[in-house]
Amino acid sequence: MISERAKESIGRIFAGAARSRLPTSDGHACEIVDRHRDAGSPQARVVVLTISSMQFRLLLLLHFDDDAGMRDYYVGDASRPLADAFMEVANLCCGAMNQRLVEHFPDLGMSTPYTLSSDCVPYLATLKPAHVASYDVSINDTVRIGATLCVCTGAPLDFLAEEAADAESGGELELF
Amino acid sequence: MVVAAGVGFVAVVALVATGWFACARARSARRARSEAERRCEALAQEAVQLRAQRDETAHERDALAADARRLSDELAERDERLAASRAELERALARGGDALQRASHIADEAARLRRFADTFERWHEQMTSLMAQNYDMHQKNQELSSIVSHVLIVSLNASIEAARAGAAGRGFSIVASEVRALAARSQELSKSYRDSLNRNDLVTAATFQDIQAGGKMMAASLASVEALANQLHGAFAQAAA
Repeated sequence: MISERAKESIGRIFAGAARSRLPTSDGHACEIVDRHRDAGSPQARVVVLTISSMQFRLLLLLHFDDDAGMRDYYVGDASRPLADAFMEVANLCCGAMNQRLVEHFPDLGMSTPYTLSSDCVPYLATLKPAHVASYDVSINDTVRIGATLCVCTGAPLDFLAEEAADAESGGELELF
Repeated sequence: MVVAAGVGFVAVVALVATGWFACARARSARRARSEAERRCEALAQEAVQLRAQRDETAHERDALAADARRLSDELAERDERLAASRAELERALARGGDALQRASHIADEAARLRRFADTFERWHEQMTSLMAQNYDMHQKNQELSSIVSHVLIVSLNASIEAARAGAAGRGFSIVASEVRALAARSQELSKSYRDSLNRNDLVTAATFQDIQAGGKMMAASLASVEALANQLHGAFAQAAA
């Protein structure tokens, strides 16, 4: 249902969006490596977002732990909950993916983020996905985030998205 | 004699004079005839020229008449075309007015349908309420699991105490064993229930997010239709003005 180049394109789009949106500063190193799907989620919580089109829906799940490293990085001295701060970041990351995807699929819509327990992730199979990919994201070797992309489609899906020349600028303009 | 001579002289003179006069008259007659012939010739030439002019005038008149007929025909044809164009313009104006109304109607409908987004947002709010209920069930199930674990420990202790009591505790041992078996089944059920809640959380969130995102997609598409219909309406209105 989903071609190899479409799977690779979705991976490239995610990598570009993650590198540009997950670090809080441009100078921070962001490393993304593939993770075996059966490895499970080492993090306790997961932020879920959905991009829907007429051909498919894509779920972006960003796994995180409410620990000191994450709080220092995303909350800092503020008194707000980490989940709220991280949902904003996840929203920007998904918005950047949406902007790249809309170049190939003109009719797209994006949901607002929602937080779930990572115990829910093994049940992605219930959605009968056509493609699932998992990644480990490391920022400055201190912040560890997991990512899962889940694409559900009932129709053949084939497109090619090249590597973004510019690391995604303008995600702030996305209206959520 | 002299008289006769005089008479003779006079007669001669008279004869000479008569002859001279006759000659003069003859010359004059010749000149007059010559003049008359020249005039006749001039008149004949003039008559030829006049005939030529008449013929030319007649030709020009015929040409002008032909031109007049052609122009008249052209005028009639243009008048006919003008009438047809006027009729077509009137029909086009009528169609334009109809299209203007239709474009306006499409824009209004698109704007109205965009309010569906409110419905999707309402569903999304209901999802949040549903998820809160799921969270509550998670908490209760966790409490139940904790109680079941405690019952397991209690039943294990009861079995130990029954064994210490020897033959007197045999009946109590059977009861303790039954309680432990029931607690173990409750624990399995609680785990299964927790798995169902987790699956339910994921499916509920994914479904409602799909509805919400789909609603936004439809709202964006309807906004495009509305903008196009408004552009069309503006173009028709400008053309009609």
